[in-house]
Amino acid sequence: MTHTTVITKRSVVPLLVPLGVGALVAVALGVYGRAHTPTGFAVGVAGFSGPLAMKAWLTTGAALLAIVQVLSAIAMWGRAGARSAWLAPLHRWSGRIAFLLTIPVAFHCLYALGAQYDSPRVLIHSLLGSFFYGVFTAKMLSLPRRGLPGWTLPVLGGLVFTALIGLWLTSSFWFFTTLGVRL
Amino acid sequence: MSRLGPVYTLAAGAVVAVALGAASLKAAPSFQQVGAAQDTTAAAAPPAESLPAPSQEPSQQPSGEPVGAPDPTPKKADYAGVVQGNGGLVAIAVRDGKAVAYFCDGRIEAWLKGTAENGTVTLEGKDSLITAALGGGKAQGRLQVGKAKWRFTAPLVKKPSGLYRASAAVRGAKIVGGWIVLPNGQEVGRVQIGGSGEPAPRYVPGTAVDYYGVTLRPEEPDGFIDELVR
Repeated sequence: MTHTTVITKRSVVPLLVPLGVGALVAVALGVYGRAHTPTGFAVGVAGFSGPLAMKAWLTTGAALLAIVQVLSAIAMWGRAGARSAWLAPLHRWSGRIAFLLTIPVAFHCLYALGAQYDSPRVLIHSLLGSFFYGVFTAKMLSLPRRGLPGWTLPVLGGLVFTALIGLWLTSSFWFFTTLGVRL
Repeated sequence: MSRLGPVYTLAAGAVVAVALGAASLKAAPSFQQVGAAQDTTAAAAPPAESLPAPSQEPSQQPSGEPVGAPDPTPKKADYAGVVQGNGGLVAIAVRDGKAVAYFCDGRIEAWLKGTAENGTVTLEGKDSLITAALGGGKAQGRLQVGKAKWRFTAPLVKKPSGLYRASAAVRGAKIVGGWIVLPNGQEVGRVQIGGSGEPAPRYVPGTAVDYYGVTLRPEEPDGFIDELVR
């Protein structure tokens, strides 16, 4: 997706390292999820009736914060007509919290269950999960870099958001519609 | 913005993941919290109260293993015991040449099905295998799950001990629960749904189990063996 748009001062070359590291992260997670024997058990966040409920709610929290991410990003890029000093911290910290909320979820998925390809929902979820952390890593590593094409952050951020919503649909939404909305 | 901020974010995520990994490696299997501490006595004598000693006459045994007949395979027998070196439980049910088995240590589980003939059972499941000799009031054999191999000795048990299975379909998702109950009250079980699984709610034989609002009704092997083994 990056090979044609080379603009005078900005270049895709500095983007190669973040994209490469992100790709490595995604592949490594997928290989780990497939290669190791699932333990069927993982330590997670207490207070829920089971690991499934814990994951459904933490992912929902992350998805809600992801919506905050999109809205604050639109505002930061001046598309909402208002720019405030608190926008950047709001964007940064809602993103950090959302990311941290996903860690116990992904840990349980990968450590206890592993990547599975048995049904379409689980297949899509497994692939999106690996992709999510890859593209998130690429976005984090792109943030401090100078001279990147202008579309870098919107595209990477949009992919992170899309992946997370896809993950929510294939897990939390499935859980809530199958077993009901319960803690 | 600090140039290192995003790197710290990634590092924080990695640290949390490593901490969860360390905690998970240390954590005890969930069945030990549920059941009695019975690990060390596992391989020894059969539970005394409800069962006769292996040396007694086979005809006195509760499930009536006909030893000495041309085919020593019992027509109906239920075995349950502790897996040596793993601490999980295994249960085998034999009905008219069909056999079904379940292994569960609270974390991993396996359903196996197969045949009983010539005094032995051979059972296969997904990535799992059991071979055991029946007789003397017990099933004694080997269990392989994935790359792990264990031995077990499972004495004959009778209701309410033994193997239970519940299945239900909820809005397109299949739910399967398995439980093993030992005479000493030790119990283990898991529920799987949609490619995921977790420790089962405690099952009191004769009652229903509530799983996220879904009512599961565990059955004895008589109720499901024909569905599993065709």
